Amino acid sequence: MIVVKIVCLILGLIVIPLCMGMLFFPLVGKNFRTPGAALIAGYIFMFTLLELIGIPVVLLAVYNGFTLFVNLFTPCILLTAAAGVILALYRKKQSGAYIYEMSRAAIRPDNTRKQISLEGKIVFGLFLILLGFQLYMAFTQASFDGDDAYYGAHAVAAQQLDTLYRVNPYTGRSAPLDVRHGLALFPIWEAYLGRMSGVHATIVSHTIVPLLLIPLTYILYYQIGKILLKKRKDLLPMFMVVIALWQIFGNISIYTPETFFLTRTWQGKSFAGSFVIPAVIWIFLCLFASDEEQEALDSFAILNEPEERKTGFWLLLACLNFAGGASSSLAVLLSCLMSVGFGVLFAVRKKRFGILVKAGFSCTAGAIYVLLYLCLTHGIIRL
Amino acid sequence: MYGIFMESLVIFKLYTGLKLLLILTALSWIYLLLKEKDKRVRILLVYAPILILALFFFPVSRKAFVAAGLDGETYYRILWTIPMGVITAYGACRIFAAHKRIGLVVTSALVILCGSYVYKSEYISKAENLYHIPDTVIKICDKITPENPNATVSAVMPPELIHFVRQYDAGIRMPYGREMLVARWDYYNAVYEAMEKPEVVDMETLLEATRADYCRYIVMAEGKKTDMSPEDAGLVLIETIDGYRIYEDPVTTQVMEQWLEYYENEEE
Repeated sequence: MIVVKIVCLILGLIVIPLCMGMLFFPLVGKNFRTPGAALIAGYIFMFTLLELIGIPVVLLAVYNGFTLFVNLFTPCILLTAAAGVILALYRKKQSGAYIYEMSRAAIRPDNTRKQISLEGKIVFGLFLILLGFQLYMAFTQASFDGDDAYYGAHAVAAQQLDTLYRVNPYTGRSAPLDVRHGLALFPIWEAYLGRMSGVHATIVSHTIVPLLLIPLTYILYYQIGKILLKKRKDLLPMFMVVIALWQIFGNISIYTPETFFLTRTWQGKSFAGSFVIPAVIWIFLCLFASDEEQEALDSFAILNEPEERKTGFWLLLACLNFAGGASSSLAVLLSCLMSVGFGVLFAVRKKRFGILVKAGFSCTAGAIYVLLYLCLTHGIIRL
Repeated sequence: MYGIFMESLVIFKLYTGLKLLLILTALSWIYLLLKEKDKRVRILLVYAPILILALFFFPVSRKAFVAAGLDGETYYRILWTIPMGVITAYGACRIFAAHKRIGLVVTSALVILCGSYVYKSEYISKAENLYHIPDTVIKICDKITPENPNATVSAVMPPELIHFVRQYDAGIRMPYGREMLVARWDYYNAVYEAMEKPEVVDMETLLEATRADYCRYIVMAEGKKTDMSPEDAGLVLIETIDGYRIYEDPVTTQVMEQWLEYYENEEE
């Protein structure tokens, strides 16, 4: 029984998002077809679907909302994951061969034949020890946070009472829809994992989810480091060690994303700070990679081959600007502001107005989310 | 406007804790400002952080933030968009590019010395179970959860357990929860007033409030002072678990059972 539960959790947390992420491969250059990029993209797609399906259910289904959500969300993610697998298998017959590229990238993350030095391996091993330590602490140490009485109780209420945001989580009494938090469905995703695996939602959020979200965050930082240090890959292990130490010693106040990352990993707001916001930076680094390559600056100048496809990253940014809403409503606002802000800066730098237009379009779904949030919280839409 | 600016300054101070880690980021940022030639990296890691800081301190931003219906207490999260860790790590890699080993040791030592260890928090303790909530809560909840799945139960819990009860069992209701423990929220609840405000609990007042709220169970720490023995007030001691006494109120129990019987007959 425990084995079945573990298999279900691995499917829900790793296999399905990874397969979903492969859908993004045809739209990006070869250098980005790595397992790490697939997993990040898969999570962005999965949370997009979570919001797309979950928000109408939360707003419209008064009774048995969670069952309805499960019945709609499950086939959608399975179909999307299947589409990712089919696409990868189809491409295997063609020249692209995504699975081959991905497995090669897993062995040689920089997609080169260059050997990693012994020193680099040792330093990277040090990073893995720091990561292992964080996972060990996440599993064995309980971190108390008052907000869990709200978010955690909502997840348990969804799983046990089959209702979405219509119960006062503190007391258990029936309550009108909580419109301020009702659009952020991170706790409902944790309840969903609990339902599909037969594990209590609190165990999922406090014990299981951190074991995935902590490595996922480092995969994202690894992707960022890979781009920043494209021509000095030998510095990448050092970059990762410093980032890992920064997370462990970043508790300079209770407000930093580092504190949230390791003490409230399972909360949506933590996901916003440690995944959504860095993901915007990663996407912009990828988007403007090849242009800089052409300018050939110094040994740190970057990146992939010119003419590589970028559509996938704009699409991913558009999804992220909406999917961020799963973690918190503020995350959508921040990621949209970052997208537009970076868009303006790059448009000015490149003297290409089209960048700003694309950045603006990438915020469309996010803007609709923000508009809906404002209408609900200001009583313009009443349910 | 000046007042709002000063408030933002205080938020910034609280966010950074005025710790030396901020200096490390500042040093890396200055190095990147002077040496970084890649325009893309300059935009994302050099110019953008300055613009974000300017936006953060600009008083109109804070006004717009609150006007949008967002919680003013979360304004500090705008600072999350400055990737301090990435700026520091990348800056360190660049500074020590020619001396990797020294760079790794120096940077690691500086981060450790200037930072604050996240796991030293008083709120972190050894997990007692996979739920990461106290075992005591689980034992108490298992004791009071009704066998009949259609039955609901309401219980008054001590403040130190209140956060965890509904994270374990959403079927257990409480007359008040965490909202009463956050003083600045300033809520009122009659049961809370009777149970937690006085040093010595007036059992008559407490029972009047709990019966009005249909609370079947009252969980009290063993040291809790009452003006008369709860048993003398009409409560029945069910069990003592880890220093907490679980009392059942027979009056409410009878009312709840009558209701349940009525609803079950209605459904048939």
